[in-house]
Formats: sequence, structure tokens, C-alpha cells
Amino acid sequence: MSELPAAGSRRPEASLSVAVGARVGVASWWRTPTARRYLFGYSLLTPAVLYVGLLVGMPFLFSLYLALSDATVGEPIARFVGIENFISALENATFYTALRNTLVFTLGAGILKGLLGTSLAFLLVQPFKGRRVVRALIVIPFTLPIAVSVLGWKWMFDSQFSVVNWALSNLGLIGGYGSADWPVWLGQPGLALFSVMFVNVWRGFPFSAIVLLAGMTSVAPEILEAAKVDGASFMQRFRKIIVPMIAPILFVGSAFDTVFTLSDLSIVYLLTNGGPDGATEILQTLAYNTGIRAGALGRGAAISLFLFPLLLPAIIILLRTLRRRQY
Amino acid sequence: MATLAREVAAYHAPRSRRAKEARRHALIYVGLVPFLVLAVFPIFWMLITALKQEPDLYRMDVVPFWFHLPPTWKNFDFLFHRTFYGDWIVNTMSISFWVSAITLLTAVPAGYALARLRLPFAENLGIGIFMTYLVPSIILFIPLARVVSTLELQDSWWALVVVYPTFTIPFCTWLLMGFFKTVPFEIEEAAMLDGCGQFGALVRVVLPVSWPGLVTSVIFSFTLSMQDFLYSLAFVSISEQKPVPLGVATELIRGDVYFWGSLMAGALLVGVPVAIVYNLFLDKFISGITGAAIK
Repeated sequence: MSELPAAGSRRPEASLSVAVGARVGVASWWRTPTARRYLFGYSLLTPAVLYVGLLVGMPFLFSLYLALSDATVGEPIARFVGIENFISALENATFYTALRNTLVFTLGAGILKGLLGTSLAFLLVQPFKGRRVVRALIVIPFTLPIAVSVLGWKWMFDSQFSVVNWALSNLGLIGGYGSADWPVWLGQPGLALFSVMFVNVWRGFPFSAIVLLAGMTSVAPEILEAAKVDGASFMQRFRKIIVPMIAPILFVGSAFDTVFTLSDLSIVYLLTNGGPDGATEILQTLAYNTGIRAGALGRGAAISLFLFPLLLPAIIILLRTLRRRQY
Repeated sequence: MATLAREVAAYHAPRSRRAKEARRHALIYVGLVPFLVLAVFPIFWMLITALKQEPDLYRMDVVPFWFHLPPTWKNFDFLFHRTFYGDWIVNTMSISFWVSAITLLTAVPAGYALARLRLPFAENLGIGIFMTYLVPSIILFIPLARVVSTLELQDSWWALVVVYPTFTIPFCTWLLMGFFKTVPFEIEEAAMLDGCGQFGALVRVVLPVSWPGLVTSVIFSFTLSMQDFLYSLAFVSISEQKPVPLGVATELIRGDVYFWGSLMAGALLVGVPVAIVYNLFLDKFISGITGAAIK
């Protein structure tokens, strides 16, 4: 077995047992095909592992260090200050506003995307004429570069020439420009938070829908047919088959979406930059403005690390599903 | 609701098949209209804004969805003659080229090794590499700012060439892993029987049949790079070094004055091609990241 070219064997145990087997001496083990394959394999892996290790792994650890130091942009030498940055964040009222807004934003937009995405997926899963075209149009918000579409929304939410307001005004729902009920979408605290969440939902709902759709089309019809033949009512099928089948997919989709949402600052940065009066300040913009704009790298790093516990549940969900991936 | 519609249709007295089909279609289309309007209207609005003359943008007394003055290319003209838009396009292209090159050179060997060579810990290593895709830029951008300034790349688009592979390599390695698994072992065996080494078999046989995977990786290196905003915002502040999304978002706004026409023109000119390409490859993106839950 060990004489065969290693790649020729499709039973991993076969060659592994040779690798582990003590029958071949240590000195000559390095010359076996298995050893050569390992050497070849790990050297192929090295560039990628080094790259992500040096530019993701190390920076991640470095951000922990920065958060514990008084590093600034201008001053290359940093002093260790312990958890001072975390404490100063926790003593800052803006931080709490940002934390609250981040939670409201992420959860609220997440739920909306789940609802819209699910209803859309149920529509798209059915066969109808023009389905491909409809699908291609509906995913546009997700595929446009985010900064590009946010600029479009900024124009649509213009304080005076908003097309949304034009439509609402002509439908008689609000008065003309200057009247008391003329909404200034990005200028009024409550509306501003709603608007930035709305843009996030707009961008994310096609993703939820497409993820669900992919899941639904891969299993649904046969099982549903079988249940129907066995006499399950519509409600039974919905509760016992559709919901349990969709829940895990929705879960994974939402987990990815949460990661995307929590790592994005462009919507808030470009639409309101945290204003008016901190009404839309989120941890992402606070970290950017503190770390890069004000140059306090240490404090910025500490603030961005507060995002990590929020990300953790999503990452754990994804890690668990990735481990179960079937090849 | 999928079945609900069918159920409702079946419940009523059986009419002709065609009438039932028409009714079902009508219900679906009615349901889809709000979603379609929501998804497409902003793009339509941006397009019409880009083609309108300035005075036509600021009229609230007429229906704004169409032209009241003849359409104009003036906004596009402005971009290329009065701003660094041309430079931004060149920067974006150059960044995409180098990021794709770095990604291919690292992710192809890694994906191949993880998928084909039955290495110990391959599974966990693969997951480990993919997990780095999930470490968001918002946590990494501050330490990476230090890395970028150590390399003396601040304020140059080269900073982004160094940084973007941090998310394209994990994603493409994962994608290519799945891809290489579908290439039959037999052709590799045949090549090795014909005297190729393991490396020769990879280069001469496996790679040529894997070209769709390689193309997909290049596409994602491009589209994922185009989705970035934070890194470019944090690392590049010189006007002529910016990539298009950042340039349009930061350079076409002077104080409180917004050049809406050229803003929309600049945004769409790059946004639409990206959206079309991404659209074509979206299923690969979805199955790449969610393979686990769906299979």
C-alpha cells in the first residue's frame, strides 16, 4: 500500500496508518510518499496562513495591546495603561448612547430583514414567469457597492428636495415644505435612527431572501409532497416541516448578516455621521472618530473591542454550522 | 405562503387550468411589486438624477420622476474634467488587479492542499482560515493603521492592496476548497502515471480544469474589494490616490454643497457594472458562505 503514489489512494486511513505505523523507521519516514505529500501540502498552505496570520491574527492581538495602551497616531511610543481606555469609555455618556443605538440598530434591522426576507423567499420559491429577472432585480441593493447606494439614499433623504417627501406630500400624507409635519429624515433624532436602519434593511433583505431561497429549493418539494400524501394539513406542514426546515437557515443567514451589519460604518458615517446630537452614533462610528479622526488609537481600539461580545454569538453559530458542513 | 397560494387556488371550484394559473401569477406579482419598487426605485432615481440638468433637480412643483429639461451628459463630463474621477478608476482597477493576483497566488495552493492532500487537521485549518473572514474590519482597522504606517504606505492605494487580501484570501480559499473537491481524482492519477509529480499534476491538469473556480475567485476579489469603505476611508486621504467609492463619497461634497448630479453619475458609473457582475456570481457567494446549512 505504501508503495502506491499517495494521491492515488482514496482511503485516507490506508495511508495514514502507514504514516503512524512504527514499521517504517523515523529516518526513512521522511522519504515515504505520505511524508512528501504532507511537506508539499503544508508548503502550499504557508503563504495563505502567513498572510492571514500576519494581517488578521497579529493585528487582532495587537488591537488588544493597543486597547491597553495610550497609543496615538502621532506618538509611536505607547505606554501601558491597563484598562484605563475601557474605563474612560464606560465613563463617557456618548459611549452608552452608541452602545444602545448599536443594539437597537442591529436587532431592529435584523428582525425586519428576517421578516421581509422570509416573505420574499416564499414568493420567489414558487414557479412563475419572469422569475429570473425578478430575482436579478431584487438583489440589486445587496450587490451595489455600499458607499454608492448610501449616496443615493442621502439624496433621497435630502432635507428639502427629498423625493420621498415629494411623494408623501402629493399623496396628502404630509404638508408642503416648511410645514410642521415635513419630515427631515436625517435631521430629526428619532427619524434619523429610523432612516439609517431603513437603509441597512434595504441593503440586507435581499440577502436574507436569497439565503432562505437557496435552502428552501434544496429540500422543500419532495418532503412537502410526501407529507401531503400522508395527509398532513397545511398548518401541520407549516409547523412541522416548513418552520423547522427554515429556522436553521434563517439563523445562519442572520448570523452572517449580523457580522456584516456590525462591521459596517458607511451607512451612518455617510448619512448622519452620528448626528443629530448623537442620535445615530453607533460603536463603529465612535471607534472611527476616536481612533482615526482624533488619533487616539488606544481608546478607539478599546471601543471597537466592545463590538466583539456582540459579534460572538453570531460567530459561534457560524463556527458550529461550518463544522457540520458536508463535503 | 408558497403553498398557501396553491392551496387557496385549489380550494375554489376547479376552473380551467389556464384561469387558475393566471390567478396564481397575479397573486405572486401583486406580492412582488412592493419588493421590486423598494429594490429598484433608488437606482432609477440615481440614474435620472445623474442625467438631469441642475435646475431640473430642485423643482418640487412638477412630477420629479421624469425630465422637464432635456437630459444632459454634463454631470459625467464634470467628473472626468473637474475631479480626479479618472485617477480613481485607474486606482480601483490597479487595486483589483493586485488583490486578485495576491489572492490567487495564496488561495489556490491553500485551497488545493486543504481539499486534496488529506493533510492532518485540514478540516480545522480550513475552518480557521475561513473564520478570519468573519473578523470584521471594524476591529482590525485600528491595528492595521499601525501596520500600514510601519510599511509607509499611508495615503497610497497600495495600502489597500496589502489590506484587502485579509478578507479575499479567507473567502477564496474556502470557495476553492469546495471547488477542488469536485475535480475527479482520476485525472490527477492519470497525470502522475504519465510522469508528472504532485506539483506537475496540479499545474498541468488540475488548474486547467478548475478555471471556473479561478475566474470566480478573481470576480470575488474584485466585488468584495468594491464593498469596502472603512479601510479606504481610514488609510487613504490623498484625493488622487482614492478608489472610486471613497472618492465619490468624500470628494464630491464641498462643505455643505452637494453636487448631486455628478455624485449620482460617479456612483452609478462604477456601481452598476459591479452590481451586474456580482449578480451573476451571487449564487456562488451564497453557497460559499452558507454551504453548511443548506446542503
